[in-house]
Amino acid sequence: MNEPTSDVDSRDRMLLQRMAAGDRAALETLYRAYHGGLSRFLSRLTRRADLIEEIVNDCFWVAWRKAGSFHGDSRVSTWIMGIAYRCGLKALRQRGDEPVDDYALREGRGPSHDPDEDRELRDWLGEGLKHLSADQRIVVELVYGVGNSLDEVAAIMQAPVGTVKARLFHARIKLRNVLPTLAGDPPAQRENMS
Amino acid sequence: MTIPMNSGKDCARAWEIMPWALQATAAPGQREWLMHHLAQCEACSAEFAQQSRLRCALSLPTNVPVDAEHGLKRLLERIDTPEPDATPVRRWSSGNRLTRALAAAVVLQAIGIGALGVRLWSDQAPHYRTLSRPALLEPAGALRVVPAAGMKLADWNKLLHDLGLRVIDGPNDAGAYAVVPAGSASSSASTLRRLRADSDIRLAEPVDDTP
Repeated sequence: MNEPTSDVDSRDRMLLQRMAAGDRAALETLYRAYHGGLSRFLSRLTRRADLIEEIVNDCFWVAWRKAGSFHGDSRVSTWIMGIAYRCGLKALRQRGDEPVDDYALREGRGPSHDPDEDRELRDWLGEGLKHLSADQRIVVELVYGVGNSLDEVAAIMQAPVGTVKARLFHARIKLRNVLPTLAGDPPAQRENMS
Repeated sequence: MTIPMNSGKDCARAWEIMPWALQATAAPGQREWLMHHLAQCEACSAEFAQQSRLRCALSLPTNVPVDAEHGLKRLLERIDTPEPDATPVRRWSSGNRLTRALAAAVVLQAIGIGALGVRLWSDQAPHYRTLSRPALLEPAGALRVVPAAGMKLADWNKLLHDLGLRVIDGPNDAGAYAVVPAGSASSSASTLRRLRADSDIRLAEPVDDTP
């Protein structure tokens, strides 16, 4: 992810053009490039690996068929994230599942080769995220994890910017009240907001 | 909902800038101002450190094991699988039940309205007719007869009986009746002559001759 954003987007646009012409190699390249990020993004909705794979594939199935209709109104990554988000919600709806609420319970079950530092960080994050709603987790992931702007998050979630801003605000407030305690630090001095 | 105790305009501004400073998308002036504020504000500095840690944690790869190559293989298989021809049918079967029920109701309504229309149309042709309605098409051999205004009904009936005639239509505006031979008898020239010979008959002529 050290490539400048504009270079990445230019590459992605070219791949989409090739996909629109039926180039499967371009699809494979784009799939591999986005798989990690999408899996992490979707893991904020569900912790089931099989479901995440299915949603990623649904997303790229749509991207493969709609590549020609991408008009460049947004970054390719925003377009793909939006598709993945909608596919994720649809998949959960079809199964009658709710976005994960037992976040902390499952977040800690990382691979055994997870370095101690990473594991500690994951546990800390998992404890914090379990206090957030699914929408708040998605906004936090997109802003802090992916690096999207408010406008991009609004486009992905198909929600007004004001709504996204409010979700981010409330998520940050919750996390700030919870995370220092989890880290063993005394909470910062606070007072109630009137 | 809480904010730092020393919150003021500067802390609120710092709070707004932090995520974008961490993304390196904040304007250079904003970032510079934030660093200056953090150096002076312990609460905001702690908050910023925590958000930096949050960003690090969220940047870690997911620990849910999802194999990219396995997923890609399945995706390519899915693309290679021809779409079933019955896609539209599947759309119907997976469609909203309410929509299908409404469509069925509309079809039933259309059938009902059609049946009602046919019924009403057939009712418009009653099995009776009034004498004020235009004359029916007279059968071959029919005669048009105009009795005198003073002819008695009994004389009219006797004449018809004697000649073996029956009224099938009339009187029309001119007072003419259409008569035909009763039974299988056919009107003949003699019938016509006898009618014309009767003093109470003003006119007797075959309908066929009428222009």
